[in-house]
Amino acid sequence: MDSLTEFVRSAPAPQRAGMRALIALARRPRGRALLARAGAADQLAQMLASLGRYDDPAVARALGWDAEAVVKRGRALRRAEGRP
Amino acid sequence: MLKPWSSAGARCAERRDGRDLLRKYVRESNIVAKGGPLDAKGEALSTGHTIRADVCVIGAGAGGAVAAAELAEGGMNVVVLEQGHRHDPDHFTARPPQMLARLYRDGGQTLTLGTPPIMLPLGSGLGGTTLVNSGTCFRTPPRVLERWQHEFGLDVDEESLRPCFERVEQALSVSEVTPKLAGANAAVARRGAERLGWSHGYLRRNARGCVGSGVCAFGCPTSAKQHTGITYIPRAERAGARIVTGASVGRVLVQGGRADGVQARMLSGASVEVKAPIVIVAAGTIHTPLLLARSGLGGRSGQLGRNLSLHPATAAFARMDEIVDMAKGVPQSFYVDEFAGEGIVFEGVAGPPAYAAMSLPLSGERHAQAMADYRHLAQFGLMVSDSSRGSVHSLAGQTVIRYDMDDADLQRFRTGLRRMRELLEAAGAREVYLPLPPGIEPEHARLRDLKLMAFHPLGTARADARASHGVIDGDLQVHDTEGVYVADGSAVPSSLGVNPQMTIMALATRLAFTLMGEEIPCPS
Repeated sequence: MDSLTEFVRSAPAPQRAGMRALIALARRPRGRALLARAGAADQLAQMLASLGRYDDPAVARALGWDAEAVVKRGRALRRAEGRP
Repeated sequence: MLKPWSSAGARCAERRDGRDLLRKYVRESNIVAKGGPLDAKGEALSTGHTIRADVCVIGAGAGGAVAAAELAEGGMNVVVLEQGHRHDPDHFTARPPQMLARLYRDGGQTLTLGTPPIMLPLGSGLGGTTLVNSGTCFRTPPRVLERWQHEFGLDVDEESLRPCFERVEQALSVSEVTPKLAGANAAVARRGAERLGWSHGYLRRNARGCVGSGVCAFGCPTSAKQHTGITYIPRAERAGARIVTGASVGRVLVQGGRADGVQARMLSGASVEVKAPIVIVAAGTIHTPLLLARSGLGGRSGQLGRNLSLHPATAAFARMDEIVDMAKGVPQSFYVDEFAGEGIVFEGVAGPPAYAAMSLPLSGERHAQAMADYRHLAQFGLMVSDSSRGSVHSLAGQTVIRYDMDDADLQRFRTGLRRMRELLEAAGAREVYLPLPPGIEPEHARLRDLKLMAFHPLGTARADARASHGVIDGDLQVHDTEGVYVADGSAVPSSLGVNPQMTIMALATRLAFTLMGEEIPCPS
C-alpha cells in the first residue's frame, strides 16, 4: 500500500470518502476542470496530490531529504547507545 | 464556600486523609497480589476476565503515564488501559503520510465543526500525544496560576507546583535546545527577532541525545524525545504496573457514589472488567468528557464537555537566499514571545518535503516553483491563546467537537500574521507566503480565509473548587464521586498560552503523591 493510500484509509469515514472522491476527480481531465471551479476542493485535491508526490523517496531526495538515511541513523544510534 | 486545592496549612492533614482513604479503599477492595504483565495487546484476555487493582488508569499519555508510574513506584497495584498501541521505533519511517496514519488518532485528521473548521491532531498509543508533539516544555505561567486561584478557587501557585515540575523535568531530561541543534530554520527567525528587537529564545524540550532528525511529529527515529511511552511507562512496568493496550473503555463503574472499577473491550472483542477503588481518567481532553458522560459522572454542573480551549495555529513560509533545509534540526526549537501578553506566540515548525508541500499555502505552478526551492524555504508558526470556547459531545456514537472562533481570536490572527510577515522580512526573506487566499491581506482576513490547525485542547472536565462550576474539584476528583479522578488536559481550567504537557504532567505527579499521602521527593 502506498503512503497516500495509507493516509487516506486512516481518516474518519466522512473525510475518507471526500478524499477518495477528490483523488479520483483529480486523475481525470474533466474532473480537474470541475475542481478548478471549486476553490476549496481544488486546494484540498492539490494538497493530497502534493503529499503523495513529495513523499516519494526519489523526489524527496532530490530536495535534500532522505527519510531512509534518517531512519538508518536513528536505528544505529538506538542500537549503539541502548536507547529504547 | 471554595474548597482550596491544597493550601499550605492544610496540605499535611489532607495528605494524611488521602493516605487513610487509599488504605481503606485498598483494604476493602480485596486486592490480589501483583501479577505479571498482561499480553501487550490484551489478546490473552477472555470475555468476562476480571483484573483487580488498587488503581486503574485510563490512558497512557501525559497524565495517565505519569500517574501510573508514580503510583506503581509508590507500591500501588496499578493497571493501565490504553486504547492505542505500543509503537516500535523500528517501524518509524520518517515519512509523514505513513506516520500520520500510524501514530495519530484518525490519521491526524480529527476535525472540529464550526467556523472555521480546524484540524486537531491527537496522538494515539503509549505516550499519547507526547509521542508526536514537538517536545516543548513550559511550566505553567504564573499569571495563569493566579487566574486559577481567583477564578476557579484553586489554591495553587508556583511554589506549590515547583517540586512537581522539577521531578517531571528531571524524569524527561528537559533542557534548552542549542543553536547548533536548532538548525538554520530557527536561525532565520532569530535573525528577524534580533533585528526587530523582539523578545525571543530557544525552547526547553524533553530530549536526550537528540541529533535533529527533524521529524518529532512523525515518530522520533532516535528515541531522543523523552515521551511518556519510553519514560514513565517503562518505569511503571518495572514497578509492577500492568499495561494493557488495545483496550477501549466503555464506562467507569461506581457503586454507592464511589469508584468501583472500569469496563473495557479489547480489540479481540473480549470484554474485561478492572475492579479498582481508584480510577484515574486520562483519556485526553476530547475523550475524557465522553467517557465520564457515558458513565453518568460529572454532569451535575452542566460543564462536562464544555469550555473547550485550543491553541489555534497557523504557519507562514519564507523563501530565503541561504539554504535552510528546514527539516535538518529541531523543528520546534525557537520562540518569539514579544506579544505573549496579547495571546500571540510564534514557535518554530518545520518538516520534510511532504509535510511542507501539504502546508504550503500556494497552488499550481507557484506551489511547484516554491517546492523546487524547498531547500531555501523557512517556516515559522503562529499560535493563539484563545478566548473562544468549544464543546465536545457524542452524537450517535460519533465524537463531535464544536468550536467557533470569536472576533477577538480572529483579530489575534490578523495581528499575528502581519507581525509574522514583519519577522520573516526582517530576517531577509525574498518572499513571504502567508496562509491566506491570494489577494487577502492579514487585516482583511475573514474567519473562512484562515487555514488553521489546533493543538493543546484543554478544559472539558475543568477543575473548579465549586461543584456548581466545575466537573472536578481542586484535588482533581470528580465532584460528588469518591475515587474517580481526572489527570489530563481536560482538567486544566483555562487556556495556558504555552504548550501544556508539563502542566498536565505536574498535575498528575501532584495527584499521585496526594493519593499516596506522601511529600514529593526533591530530585537528586
